[in-house]
Amino acid sequence: MSVAELKEKHAAATEKVNNLREQLRQRRQQLLDTDVAEYASSQGRSPVTFGPTDLVCCRTLQGHTGKVYSLDWTPERNRIVSASQDGRLIVWNALTSQKTHAIKLPCAWVMTCAFSPTGQSVSCGGLDSMCSIFNLNSPTDKDGNLPVSKTLSGHKGYVSCCQYVPDEDIHIITSSGDQTCVLWDITTGLRTSVFGGEFQSGHTADVLCVSINGSNSRMFVSGSCDATARLWDTRVASRAVRTFHGHEGDVNTVKFFPDGNRFGTGSDDGTCRLFDIRTGHQLQRYYQQHGDNDVPHVTSIAFSISGRLLFAGYLNGDCYVWDTLLARVVLNLRSLQNSHVNRISCLGLSADGSALCTGSWDTNLKIWAFGGYRRVT
Amino acid sequence: MESETASSADEQQAADTRGKHRILAELKRVQQESRFLEEEMEELEKTDIISTLCEEFLHCTETRPDPLLSITNGPINPAWDIWFEGPPDSQGCRCWIL
Repeated sequence: MSVAELKEKHAAATEKVNNLREQLRQRRQQLLDTDVAEYASSQGRSPVTFGPTDLVCCRTLQGHTGKVYSLDWTPERNRIVSASQDGRLIVWNALTSQKTHAIKLPCAWVMTCAFSPTGQSVSCGGLDSMCSIFNLNSPTDKDGNLPVSKTLSGHKGYVSCCQYVPDEDIHIITSSGDQTCVLWDITTGLRTSVFGGEFQSGHTADVLCVSINGSNSRMFVSGSCDATARLWDTRVASRAVRTFHGHEGDVNTVKFFPDGNRFGTGSDDGTCRLFDIRTGHQLQRYYQQHGDNDVPHVTSIAFSISGRLLFAGYLNGDCYVWDTLLARVVLNLRSLQNSHVNRISCLGLSADGSALCTGSWDTNLKIWAFGGYRRVT
Repeated sequence: MESETASSADEQQAADTRGKHRILAELKRVQQESRFLEEEMEELEKTDIISTLCEEFLHCTETRPDPLLSITNGPINPAWDIWFEGPPDSQGCRCWIL
């Protein structure tokens, strides 16, 4: 077959793919007989309410001298690792606000950090296109710096996000500006699997975030500048299990819902969305005007432990608390006393769900907890 | 002159071959994408409508005890209030890392 004939075939195949995508989109629309908010209202559910002093800022973690870009909690013992524009990771005891480690990074341009499941290591990645692992129990070098215990190199673009596979300190998943996600074996430093990329079906633009399913650690979702989120099975790197369309801008943040059957996304289009992984359906869209004609990008999200609350940080400094059932904003952390004075770039819930940590461009991290009166149903 | 013409013709042929391989690989990728979408369409015909999933979602969010809600399913864990038992945040370590 000649090049010209091949090009013709390619054009025809591309048109077929576009038609199929449109058919799929329309069929999904037909199956969307309702959404979560409409259904919950019809079942008589009332929105969550917060009194003015229910959610309070109970800790301010000060120490970074640059914008905070990323944070992660340990699965236990209430420690947090944070990454900042100042080129450092800090490990905090969130209860006492004490710093236990301040790690000067070999590359200052860090974008993401993560705590290992055992709490013995932390990882980070950024513009150096590598993921660096630090063992917190290692002796420091002659300059007082914690040495890198492993470097995971192979990405051809920046590392935007990293997360350890739960229950073990051996595997980590990264997302990258090179349009791929990678599952790494930390012991060998080698790539176990590459998801997407030049020779495989995957994202068609930078991948900005990942979230591993806490109920089934073989599944993870990724969000990308191609405006999609994709669900992956770590045993099948050749193609995504499912691609989730709907967003109209970069998907900056993804987070699995606590039970692992759904996940949330946040995007440059100003919306958060909730998707079901088994059917691919979009269950709910979360959007509210922010007071002017601006549509601020969503930078980060986190679900409360029951999934009833969705915390979403926006580029304009708002941090909405969404009632996920009724799709209403029930609180804006920005309006509370002692809140951040710049945008919130990252969010995370403690393992038992009792505290939310927010990290901000104002260089601080803050811990929020419920200080009001609780009633049991 | 002849050898120059011959070598530029060789280069052109090599470029054409590489171009053909690239287009063929791209065509295969698009055809594969087409098959994936057809599979997805078949699966979609067997999936539930949204309201079935909504009932499950409702149940899920109302079952698990949540420390950040004022009205929640029990049991309440006293450890949730650990954040209010220590010294207030103004006493925390504020040393700057330079």
